[in-house]
Amino acid sequence: MSNNLDDELRRALRPVDPGEEFAQRVVARIARDSTVSRRHAIARYQWLPAALAASVVLGFLTTHDWRMRHEQQGLEARKELLEALRVTGAKLDLAYRVLNDEARVSANGISGA
Amino acid sequence: MTEAEECAPDDSLSRAIAGESAGFAMLVRSHQRSVYSLALRMLSDRHKAQDLAQEVFLQLHRSLAVIESHAHLSFWLRKVTVNRAIDRLRREPKYETVRLEENLNLVSDARERDPLLQRRLRELVGRLPPAPRGVMLLRFQEDLDPLEIARILDMPPNTVKSHLKRSLAILREQVTAFMGPDGTPSEPGPSFTKRDQ
Repeated sequence: MSNNLDDELRRALRPVDPGEEFAQRVVARIARDSTVSRRHAIARYQWLPAALAASVVLGFLTTHDWRMRHEQQGLEARKELLEALRVTGAKLDLAYRVLNDEARVSANGISGA
Repeated sequence: MTEAEECAPDDSLSRAIAGESAGFAMLVRSHQRSVYSLALRMLSDRHKAQDLAQEVFLQLHRSLAVIESHAHLSFWLRKVTVNRAIDRLRREPKYETVRLEENLNLVSDARERDPLLQRRLRELVGRLPPAPRGVMLLRFQEDLDPLEIARILDMPPNTVKSHLKRSLAILREQVTAFMGPDGTPSEPGPSFTKRDQ
């Protein structure tokens, strides 16, 4: 029974053909899929020039903004320095006047005695 | 194909690897019966089998660089076909009413001495769980030995032998019941529910 069953199984499971056009359909599908893949690859990278341009503009704007801030900070520092010098100058003037007045008063006091 | 073409050395593999469409088409024609039949008997559905067989060859086209020889090609095709079919079967719902006369390939072959018995055998093989079904097909359709089957299915050889032994015992019992007391086969019922696989 075993050998008979084995033989019957081999006969029952003999390979069958999928049809004459099977190979053509496979090749056609490969050709179709490779065309679709090429289109997808092109579409995938279409954004690249726009992204590069945007990066350049962004870089320029960032650099420009940094320079503007840097210059602004410099101007403000200069303004503060000038103010400090003016205040110092004013105080020095005052001190000079006070000293001169004291010297004059002292000189008048000695000569009038 | 002319006799000269049949006798010519088969350079379809090297031509396919080189990117020749005609070479690849020749490879497909050489192996389509084996791949399609494995898919058909695993999935028990002609359309699904056509679909799976196409996918296998598409995958082959993408993987040609790893194919080393014609023997390796046969091994690769069997491995991918059966394993993909097993994956699909495991994803399918467990209970399904199947009208097998509509789904199974009923191409009659003049060499079939007993068409009813052979149809019944195909039906019974189609009812085995996925892994034993794959083992039986590789053994009796592809005529591979248990060691080769074990390599293809990534299974220990003893597991392959165990599947073969149990599946043959089931088939023998079912065929004996099918044949009836007087040894003549009876017609299978019009439909039945696929058992839990």
